Amino acid sequence: MVVIAVVVFVLGLLTLAGWANWQNRTQAAARLQAQQAQAVLVADDNSGSLHMSSPLVGKPAPAFTLTNVKGEKVSLADYKGKAVQINFWATWCAPCKIETPWLVELEKQYAPKGFEILAVSVDDLDKDDKTQLAKDIAGIAKGAQNLHIDYPVLIDGDSIGKPYGDVDVFPTSFFINRKGTIVAASFGLTSKDDLEANIRKALGEEK
Amino acid sequence: MYLSGIKLFAFAFALLPLQAQNPIGGFESHPAGAKATAVTYLFPEQITIPADKPSPVDLHFKVAQGLHVNSHTPRTEDLIPTTLSFPDSAAVRLAKADFPPGADYAFAISPSEKLSVYTGEFIVHAEFIAAKGEHLVEAKLRYQACTSDTCMPPHTIPVAIDVIAK
Repeated sequence: MVVIAVVVFVLGLLTLAGWANWQNRTQAAARLQAQQAQAVLVADDNSGSLHMSSPLVGKPAPAFTLTNVKGEKVSLADYKGKAVQINFWATWCAPCKIETPWLVELEKQYAPKGFEILAVSVDDLDKDDKTQLAKDIAGIAKGAQNLHIDYPVLIDGDSIGKPYGDVDVFPTSFFINRKGTIVAASFGLTSKDDLEANIRKALGEEK
Repeated sequence: MYLSGIKLFAFAFALLPLQAQNPIGGFESHPAGAKATAVTYLFPEQITIPADKPSPVDLHFKVAQGLHVNSHTPRTEDLIPTTLSFPDSAAVRLAKADFPPGADYAFAISPSEKLSVYTGEFIVHAEFIAAKGEHLVEAKLRYQACTSDTCMPPHTIPVAIDVIAK
């Protein structure tokens, strides 16, 4: 009788242990999901700079046509033969404001060599309300003006986020060489030196 | 047989703490398939307040570790503030919502540019006015979160509270 009671007790403990294990695995899965959602960045080389690798590196840059803040259509194909940086940003993105002045300087420095930046805004647009849409676009234009951006500012970046790997952290940049291949990607605020290194890579000037 | 039972008991007892240990560390549990959000509504889930009178309610939220969200009063207009909204309803109204002041935060690469943010737990001191009866309020908290290097798009989470007004 005692043995049966002990066996029942042990089986109960094993069941409890199994339940605790399932709970822990659930929590571990949730943590992994959260890490992905938070886009935690890691140092992956000797430079100490922060990166997330992109499966798009080495592949042709997805084609797109967007509208700029002046209402003109702009296609990636318009920049064939140039090195291009596609910079996903938003007016509400504080690290983007730190990065943008570097980009403005680098664009001026490398434009004579055939380098262009396309700023792709991911600010929300109210497409159902024309008045609000005009305000939204004006807000983006003002934000770009405040940052002294003199390269093209495109709107509705969310519409091309998917082909670029579901861009959901900002700033995010893709560096495209003259042949239209993505040669580097950067996620988050890095440094002016890192950005310049990627621009040089896109221009084929890699050291 | 008796000895085997004891051995089995001892083995199971030794196994229990190993099984219960979380190898990664503590983190809020989420339903399977649910995507973790930067901000979680903690409590209260249910309140009992006097009917038709402004009644104080403290709403507790938690910002996930390693993230910050703009406070209710960010330092520049273009940053998106944390806000609380109530559905249009005659049954329960939000009479007041006092947000805590934000803490100073600066990105390491630009220490002079201070932001006003919430990290960890923060409390919104609200006042509800509810008609007599039981009402499920589905309020919303909108925020915009960042890590130390990146920002994520603005997001809205539901704040569900069962309000019993007597």
